[in-house]
Amino acid sequence: MDWGRLRFFLNEVLRNFTRNLVMQATAIGTVTVMIVLLGVFLFGREAVTRIGDQVVHQIEISVFLDEKATPADARAAIVALRGDARVRSVDYVPKAEGLRRMRERLRGQIDTSLLTTNPLPDALHVRVIDADTVAAVAAHIRKMPHVADVEYAHDAVERLLRLSDVVGKVGIAILALLIFTAAIIISNTIRLTVYARRREIAIMQLVGASNTYIRLPFICEGLIDGLLGALLALAVLAVARWQLLPKLTTALPFIPAEVIRIDTSLLTLELLGVGAAVGILASWASVSRQLRV
Amino acid sequence: MISLRGVSLVYPNGTRALDDVDIDIAKGSFVFLVGHSGTGKSSLLRLLYREQKPTRGEVSVDNVRVDNMRSAKVPELRRNVGVVFQDFKLLADKTVWENVAFALQVTGARTRDVMRQVPRVLDQVGLAHKARVFPSELSGGEQQRTAIARALVNNPKIMLCDEPTGNLDPVNANEIMDLLHRINLKGTTIVVATHNAQVVDRMRRRVIRLEHGKIVADEERGFYHVNDAGEPVAAGFTAPR
Repeated sequence: MDWGRLRFFLNEVLRNFTRNLVMQATAIGTVTVMIVLLGVFLFGREAVTRIGDQVVHQIEISVFLDEKATPADARAAIVALRGDARVRSVDYVPKAEGLRRMRERLRGQIDTSLLTTNPLPDALHVRVIDADTVAAVAAHIRKMPHVADVEYAHDAVERLLRLSDVVGKVGIAILALLIFTAAIIISNTIRLTVYARRREIAIMQLVGASNTYIRLPFICEGLIDGLLGALLALAVLAVARWQLLPKLTTALPFIPAEVIRIDTSLLTLELLGVGAAVGILASWASVSRQLRV
Repeated sequence: MISLRGVSLVYPNGTRALDDVDIDIAKGSFVFLVGHSGTGKSSLLRLLYREQKPTRGEVSVDNVRVDNMRSAKVPELRRNVGVVFQDFKLLADKTVWENVAFALQVTGARTRDVMRQVPRVLDQVGLAHKARVFPSELSGGEQQRTAIARALVNNPKIMLCDEPTGNLDPVNANEIMDLLHRINLKGTTIVVATHNAQVVDRMRRRVIRLEHGKIVADEERGFYHVNDAGEPVAAGFTAPR
């Protein structure tokens, strides 16, 4: 290893970087904002997915059989539903069991001993694998023999699906805009450095420095902008994750506690990678445009 | 060493800088390109280090075609061609030593070679004692010698000088020409574009005269100002030694 050569190169990078500190700070700041929002978005999406999964698991299609249905009819319906790939589970609740469960649920609230006959039909409780299929499965069940009625939390499912869809699309649009902004600002910063060093670059080209050699310090400058921005953002996100989030889950009970346990080590690497990639690509584009021989 | 065949150069704005030029320059020779400003001297030099591509014709340097050379090959060409300008093009924030070393460092030279080559060329141009001095503290002649040292440090086969004495007084101009002469004696081919009649007449080397982008005269041991018979005419020229 030729340390003199390495030192010369690092010195070039450092001189580039310190040439316009205000612009560098702007570039780094933009990357920081971008990565913080990206981190929040990705974490939020993961959290919503988990909450959604939980809700979806709770969504049940209640199927009530008509009075003429025999236990054999019920069994046939169960077998048919278990054979459906969209169905996660089928729980058979005969009318006697239904009454017992209702008595248990209403104990101390209503005096169910007044009931002399069982008014409940035999019921099936069906859960699906993917919330998207609830409506289709319900419609399918409605057409099965001996089915008197089908009920499920129709609105809740649709609203949840629509919300996560909209949030996802808006989030991606905002993020694309942010990444674009960060790239533009980095590329402008690099352009200023290239401009400030145009005499040196002209001389480098004159004495036969390769294009790669001329570009490399600028690419490194972009990489430093991207990485420093990402590191700052990760510091902000770490504080949010370990200080704010536990308080938030205590304050807002509808946020499940398991959100705190989401593993963020992969996300950390991804965010660093995005920062570095934006920095490298933006500076590469900027330098390539300006140094055409 | 250098050859141009039917070379024309028309700039995008329509200016015809060179018009069907043929030139051969032998290895180790010393050639002046003369003519008024805007006759295509600098354009011709720019073709030789591929700062510019000809609109038509073939340009070869050291037996390699440079007019259709791929961009990636250009750095290699330029390590074999040293270029010196009227305005020196030194980096103000680097010392003489650093300015010269820069040409080696940015071409990826090993530190060992930098430490060996830089003192050698500084000694050759007579600036060893000014190595730690910044360009702003040097005279014009010393700045040009620094630029020559930088052009020389990669051991080029060819040196192209665009008005090297344009910013210098006659004494310094003569010193620079003497330095180029010594470099030429060591085998480097030298092409000097100039309208300094005094240095041309003093040196008595091959003179190629351009007018409106065409070669109008090409003489071994020529003068700057000549009549139709090739004899020196203008007042103010100094007699050759």
